[in-house]
Amino acid sequence: MTQRTRRLGLVAALAAGSALLVPVHAAALPVGAAKIGMICTPGALAGTTRTFNLVANTGYIETPDGNSVFMWSYANADTPDNGHFQSPGPVLCANQNETVVVNLTNTLPEPSSIVFPGQDAQVTATGGAAGLLTTEAAATGGTVSYSFLAGNAGTYLYESGSDVSKQVEMGLYGALVVRPSTGANFAYDSTATQFDPSREYLLLLNEIDPDLHHAVETGGTYDLNALHNRYFAINGREFPDTVQDNGSLLLPNQPYGALVRIQPNTPTNNQPALLRMINAGVDNHPFHPHGNHTREIAQDGRLVASTEHFGETIGSGQTLDYLLRWDDQDNWNPNGNPLPVAPPNYRNVFFKDGNTYYSGSPYLGYSGTLPTGTVSQNVCGEWYFPLHSHALNEFTNFDQGFGGMGTLLRVDPAGGCFASATSAAIVGGTLKSGSVTALGLDDTTYYQVNPKTTTRTSTTTAGQTTITVASAAGFPTAGSYYVRIDNEVMSVTGGQGTTTWTVLRGQLGSAAATHAAGATVTALANDWYAGFSGAPVGAQNLKVTYKGQNCGNTTGTSCTAMPTNLPQQTVKICNWTVAGAAGCSTSTSAGWVTLPAPPAQPQSVGSPDATSTWTLPGLANAYIGTGANNGQVRVLVHTQRWTAPSPTAFSTWGNFMKIVYDAP
Amino acid sequence: MSTYEQKGSLAMRALALKKTRALLVLAMASAGFAVTSSTASAAPVAIDLCASNGQITMPDTTVVPVWGFVQTASCAANLVNDTNFPGAPLVVNEGDVVTINVTNALPPDPAPATDPPDHTVRFEIPGITFDPGGTDAAVGATVSRTFTASAPGTYEFQSAGDAGRQEAMGLYGALIVRSATANQAYDVPSTGYDVEATLVLSAIDPNFNAAPDTFDLHGYRATYWLINGKAYPDTAGIVATAGQRVLLRYVNGGFDNTTMLLLGMHERVLARDARLLNNPFDADAETLPAGATEDAIATVPSTAPPSTSGFPLYNRQLHVTNGTAPNPAYAPGGMLTFIHP
Repeated sequence: MTQRTRRLGLVAALAAGSALLVPVHAAALPVGAAKIGMICTPGALAGTTRTFNLVANTGYIETPDGNSVFMWSYANADTPDNGHFQSPGPVLCANQNETVVVNLTNTLPEPSSIVFPGQDAQVTATGGAAGLLTTEAAATGGTVSYSFLAGNAGTYLYESGSDVSKQVEMGLYGALVVRPSTGANFAYDSTATQFDPSREYLLLLNEIDPDLHHAVETGGTYDLNALHNRYFAINGREFPDTVQDNGSLLLPNQPYGALVRIQPNTPTNNQPALLRMINAGVDNHPFHPHGNHTREIAQDGRLVASTEHFGETIGSGQTLDYLLRWDDQDNWNPNGNPLPVAPPNYRNVFFKDGNTYYSGSPYLGYSGTLPTGTVSQNVCGEWYFPLHSHALNEFTNFDQGFGGMGTLLRVDPAGGCFASATSAAIVGGTLKSGSVTALGLDDTTYYQVNPKTTTRTSTTTAGQTTITVASAAGFPTAGSYYVRIDNEVMSVTGGQGTTTWTVLRGQLGSAAATHAAGATVTALANDWYAGFSGAPVGAQNLKVTYKGQNCGNTTGTSCTAMPTNLPQQTVKICNWTVAGAAGCSTSTSAGWVTLPAPPAQPQSVGSPDATSTWTLPGLANAYIGTGANNGQVRVLVHTQRWTAPSPTAFSTWGNFMKIVYDAP
Repeated sequence: MSTYEQKGSLAMRALALKKTRALLVLAMASAGFAVTSSTASAAPVAIDLCASNGQITMPDTTVVPVWGFVQTASCAANLVNDTNFPGAPLVVNEGDVVTINVTNALPPDPAPATDPPDHTVRFEIPGITFDPGGTDAAVGATVSRTFTASAPGTYEFQSAGDAGRQEAMGLYGALIVRSATANQAYDVPSTGYDVEATLVLSAIDPNFNAAPDTFDLHGYRATYWLINGKAYPDTAGIVATAGQRVLLRYVNGGFDNTTMLLLGMHERVLARDARLLNNPFDADAETLPAGATEDAIATVPSTAPPSTSGFPLYNRQLHVTNGTAPNPAYAPGGMLTFIHP
């Protein structure tokens, strides 16, 4: 990953000096294009005719070893790309029974063309001149137009039909996807090919011999017999570039990423991902996912009797479609269903310093403490499996492993990424016991918070309405609140934030009474928040889950249940756009937003634990910090016992808190 | 009917005295007649094969020394030429008791001390078992192999002698066992066809062929890519009209897995290695393992092909070149042909 690290460093340098640099012009992706997954170039639809305008041109790609390679390819002549060179060619997406028109402008120094393997309907050519395999556009500016009925759904290749021993090797190929009339969530006209349309992936394989490309670039002799492939690409990129986002500015001419991302199969989340694979290269590639099997459903755009594979050769020019689901069939988790054997001692496991991404836990979805020497935690307790050519000479970049024809299969936790709190702060109360790590797991360890206390330095009479306390720290600085002295509950109505309070006596069913000097003043509420870090900007569908209980005792290690007059719990989230971190610094700061129903708040929570999950009141952006608070999410738990009769002090025991989100 | 098969039938006429019934079947097929099922019946068949040497000419005018099996009872050296390499398919009927007499007219190993090269022909047909006999055919000798053609399909015959060097020199060919039903590749109606074309795929490294006994195979690099012994533009077309079902009998006599791309139609892959598939499938870029055979049927569309030459069928690994660049015949070349009317 050193190359990746170097590039990340480069990004930082670019950011720092951006005013001095010309912006990188990347091949534009359609508006709203996802960062992960197949990106369609939609063309222009008029009636049932879908038109694509392509230009055959030249450009350069970057390889992870710092090389750049001269390529020929097809570019999208329409906006937003306007002919910007890209490799491989645009992913042309059409619907079944549309008439597909592909207009080609050829800027190459020799005649060029497009053939459409797997299209059994007639491909009608207009303009151009007859070539050996199909009608061609003349060199340096010639045009030709192809038209055909996309009669069958499927995954197809399109590629040059001119001087193919040179032009195909030079990169003139791309993917054509035809969606069935049954809908975009089916790969073919078969209910057995249903998939989750948010998990549609294209893996187009090819190989590159940079020496041959150099020969073409410099006008040398091109002899395919000399072919010695040095780069092995997926979607035009070599690992580790394959796992970069779609449209990464680091790879301005290679817009398509190849990271495959799925979630474990659950009863409510049970649609598989679709992997469309195309081998545009000349070698057969034994492609191989780690983890679960993939189910092969089609070949060359036609359904096959489906079979399951964890190693399957994809032949030159072939397309194969796979459904991929990830079954965590053992449902391992550290609480209810631990691994049958103890995980290995960290000291027996080799972690490459600074280069290991690890959740700290052997369980999918749990993030734990990182072992010594590991400095990088993966995003959310996900697992990564290699998804690669098992011809290990192809798992290289110019003979250096590993790289090349590999990507990663990322298994997110069921339901999406989640994060556990990395910090906790008490903004109204005192720590009884525990630490933030107790919130990481749903278990028997708790983060326990007691109410704040202070003392009266002098005697309190039954009629006194102004009292002075030793300290106001930890008590609310605004708003009315209740405190308890001995058996009496008072309401603080003035002087909040100072040590001299205006109080109403004998509240909530208690009686005003005299209290001795030195009496303890106990809050009947506590406030604490948990901080999450590393939530990626652009995450969506953020949800907050909190599980905890309230106990009638403030000392001891067991929880004393409160049979009646349960504390009221309100969970809030920080809206960073209100006032940044300052807006969520105290229990009554303006930035806290009560999480909306369902479930409605406040909730009565005693013992045992109560669990609730809330969705955000709006888009997640406002609730993920930026700038100095980058990636932070802050969740406040406010618990009060402000109802009659005569409430007593309590402690709040947080068991488990997490946020769940779809990472961008 | 392709030129190739017509040529095959001509070659077969040399065997008329021994193979009257087989000749009849082939001649009828080559004339485009519908052959009724009653004509195919099991019979004893004898075929004489001569392992000989010779030379062929590539499209770039390079002359390459080759070895090949020639169907003739008059076996001699230097029989192999552009018209009989790699030899027409041997065609027998399901149930025939087939005797193949193999005579070795190869030149003797110039340096016998460097065995294993000894030019002894080790005749075999993968997928068909027969008594291997007590000895293989040493140079100048003849051996006979007898078997019952019990299962229809497309087979490859070859010599395994000299650790594969003989096959690389060209000692391979196609054996077709016809099903009992005419115009049907196997004993099921789904394998019915109107036109058949046998495609023996192979490759040549002329440097190897120039020194078959001593060449270091580590440096083997084929530069010619052949269909039925010919590289484009010398390849024969596959003649079929719209709506006809073309049976493509692929025989991969080369050393590489070979992908053939068919434009404008899918082909239904029905059998591999002379055995029906449980799950036939449609393909347009089909990869054939080295040494394997495959039967696929493509129905010619009624619409115009992408090329004025017809529907292209070519090597998707881009082996559509002849020899070493630059030469005037370098590209297009190689494994490329067309299905055309």
